[in-house]
Amino acid sequence: MSTVDLEQVSCWFGNVVAVNDVTMRLGPGVTGLLGPNGAGKSTLIHMMAGFLAPSAGTVTLDGRPLYRDQEIYREVGLVPEREGMYDAVTGWSFVLANARLHKLPDPEAAARRAITTVEMTDAEGRDIRTYSKGMKQRIKMATAIVHDPAVLLLDEPFNGMDPRQRLHLMTLLHELGEHGRTILFSSHILEEVEQIAGNIEVMVAGRHAASGDFREIRRLMTKRPHQYTIRSTDNRMLASAIIAEPSASGVELVTDVTGGSSIHVQATDFHAFIHTLPRLASRRDIRLLEVRPADESLESVFSYLVNR
Amino acid sequence: MPETDDAPGTGAIHDIGYRHYDGPRLGASYIRRSLFLDTLRGAFGLGRSARSKVMPFLLLGVMVLPSVVIGIVAGYFGFDALPLGYTEYVFTLQVAVTIFLGSQSPVVISRDLRFQVAALYFSRPLSRQEYVQAKYAGMAAALFLLTAVPTTLLLAGALLAELPLADQLPDYLRAMAGCGLYALVLGGIGLVVAAMTPRRGLGVAAVVGVLLVLSGLQASVGALASEFGNDTFSGYTGLISPYTLVDGVVAGLLGAESTIDQAPPGTWGAIVYLTVALLLVVGCYAALVARFRKALS
Amino acid sequence: MSLINTQGLTKRYGAVVAVDGLTVDVEAGVTGLVGANGAGKSTLLKIFLGLLTATEGRATVLGLDVATKGPEIREHVGYMPEHDCLPPDVSATEFVVHMARMSGLPTTSARERTADILRHVGLYEERYRPMGDYSTGMRQRVKLAQALVHDPGLVLLDEPTNGLDPAGRDDMLELIRRIGTEFGISVIVTSHLLGELERVCDGIVVIDAGRLLRHSTTASVTATTPIVTIEIDGEQAALLGRLREAGVSVVSDGRLLHVDVGDEAAYDIVRDTVAGLGLGLVRLEQRRHRMSEIFTGRGADA
Repeated sequence: MSTVDLEQVSCWFGNVVAVNDVTMRLGPGVTGLLGPNGAGKSTLIHMMAGFLAPSAGTVTLDGRPLYRDQEIYREVGLVPEREGMYDAVTGWSFVLANARLHKLPDPEAAARRAITTVEMTDAEGRDIRTYSKGMKQRIKMATAIVHDPAVLLLDEPFNGMDPRQRLHLMTLLHELGEHGRTILFSSHILEEVEQIAGNIEVMVAGRHAASGDFREIRRLMTKRPHQYTIRSTDNRMLASAIIAEPSASGVELVTDVTGGSSIHVQATDFHAFIHTLPRLASRRDIRLLEVRPADESLESVFSYLVNR
Repeated sequence: MPETDDAPGTGAIHDIGYRHYDGPRLGASYIRRSLFLDTLRGAFGLGRSARSKVMPFLLLGVMVLPSVVIGIVAGYFGFDALPLGYTEYVFTLQVAVTIFLGSQSPVVISRDLRFQVAALYFSRPLSRQEYVQAKYAGMAAALFLLTAVPTTLLLAGALLAELPLADQLPDYLRAMAGCGLYALVLGGIGLVVAAMTPRRGLGVAAVVGVLLVLSGLQASVGALASEFGNDTFSGYTGLISPYTLVDGVVAGLLGAESTIDQAPPGTWGAIVYLTVALLLVVGCYAALVARFRKALS
Repeated sequence: MSLINTQGLTKRYGAVVAVDGLTVDVEAGVTGLVGANGAGKSTLLKIFLGLLTATEGRATVLGLDVATKGPEIREHVGYMPEHDCLPPDVSATEFVVHMARMSGLPTTSARERTADILRHVGLYEERYRPMGDYSTGMRQRVKLAQALVHDPGLVLLDEPTNGLDPAGRDDMLELIRRIGTEFGISVIVTSHLLGELERVCDGIVVIDAGRLLRHSTTASVTATTPIVTIEIDGEQAALLGRLREAGVSVVSDGRLLHVDVGDEAAYDIVRDTVAGLGLGLVRLEQRRHRMSEIFTGRGADA
């Protein structure tokens, strides 16, 4: 099992409080760590990797504290954001050295597997200084998975990767998650987080702002009416039917630049609205062409959380 | 408020959106001149924080003060010649010049390398050569000011001490030529060394270090050569340090008195000194142009 | 007018081929440049700026030949590098004025345009502070400002959203869109993030190993398909069953259902079935192709 627990964790550097009273549980599967710049994500990740001691609270893996526990390093892999690599060795030797440092029974095989997984076999014989940013990222990735850890922590792992490499890494993380590994990655690219992370954890100014499935989080924001955009074969009729319902607080007929029209709805009772809409349309024989939640995306949820 | 028929409307909204530019785009020579002026000003900390003015103006003060004092003393005591000659002045104060060079070379050249600003310059109409020309000229101009101002003040002091102009002028003019050559030679060396070490602290130390080492080397080798009594050889030891090199050119070619014991031997000596000085300047320029080839994004 | 035109453009560094026979015609507007190879991208940008001579082939930028009219091109092109390039001890105003003059603007015009441009990029309040204090977002804006201050006809933006958090990225993308539309300046944006490019670009050029892989308009790459995606609140099974019984072609995809609406009656059948089963309709959208399909192989050909 591989559950990372943070219990009322704070981390400060002098007067700067990077992480402020965070309680969080990280289980198997892929979790996305989000937050504005400076929210404390990197600090959090480094504490989970055992490189930084919490100033207060406990960070444990399956009950054992992580900081400076040598055994723990076998279970955890970290892909840090900063570059910090030896330029003058080849990719292969770097990964192999890491495998040996982990005292793996068959370091060559492990290094071979890791490098193949990140698709760096062609370039492994070249010095790291000749690598592009994306290639360096992949080598870092290889060193983090060479010892097959149960927990994998990645700090902005997609940085510098081109679309093909990104898709590849996303698939890789998804698969590892499916196989029961605990994976946490931080990213600013919300479209990608949406695609592979089942759960998200949001940090704002060092505080733990929200956690869970982002759709669930959106439902919890009851003070914010859900925004819907609807196109149908008779917008005005549908609009008048919608506003007659208690689940909607506002309805607006909108014409866009191309001349197409749609309805913007503010739904105060999300659950009731989505059940009512098809009935209303069906009864009046109005064809629904598009029903689109305008703020259901991770983007909107995130911006609501940050701007609270 | 009642509207009358002949009162025009009193409200208006003006367009403050993006405006295109149809004005002149002055060419590369304007740009190079602007960069030259900015470099010259930057070498004295003008247009930057107060802190960056301290060192250059302090050193300018150090350079100027002795010339003023000499002028006052000469006038007061009625000397019939300046105790320190025009062509000896800069050489005597070379430590101050070296420190200025060390302190300001990084300001002139390393910043653009260290923070990779060079990429922004080169995406503009300015070519690499023009960029280096402007920077080199700016640094040389700053050094020229640093050396020519005190030299000129010496002349002013001499004139105020009622020393005859006709006597002072030849040496003064030789010294001014020397200032020009000092500016080019020292400027080149300072910029090249600083361009090789983008970290500012290291740049200062490196430039000062190089010049001090060369000076020291020249002094020891020169003294040893004199000991062995070989005048020709010892005459060429001046090539080792840029200060003695320029002094040698001024002495050998323009007929001034050499500040050090080992003067360049004869006409050939003078020509060799001049050639070395010119090669040094050209070499430094070429080295800088090459250094900035790597700096393209 | 064609913005950038290349014919058989090739650049070799010894054995490495950074650009390989690239023939492409880019039109005015906002164009995305996606490339698998980092070396190829920076080589291409340098060639467009007239700073690097090609091994083979030709290229023109804004109608000017890159081989002969380099300085003139650089008078009318702005460049925003990917890397950090701002000295810390100078203010944004001072820096941009200096750069404006380095592009050939007389001092007065340089000052006026600097003030204006800093306002347009959203950096007005902080413009007198030394740039060492700036956040990543502010730095990106200054980099953008120096690329725009001399009113170029084209700006090359190299990964402009790098290092920005979601709010910052949104702002930057919005700004880029404005540059292309309101300011009337053509833009070439390089990025690895196809989602972004979908949002701001009119067209996209995809380069792989130095060769042209694809050149399409965004519209064609994100064209709609005759498939409608549905998301409901509740159990899918019953809905699936009823729809299929009614002869509707439908496929389940995790939480979503994809319905073929080639026969438009399908819309109504779906609506009535959902209502009849008392399910909630969370979403009903026409599925569009995504740019990422270029790389995964699926997708419409332009």
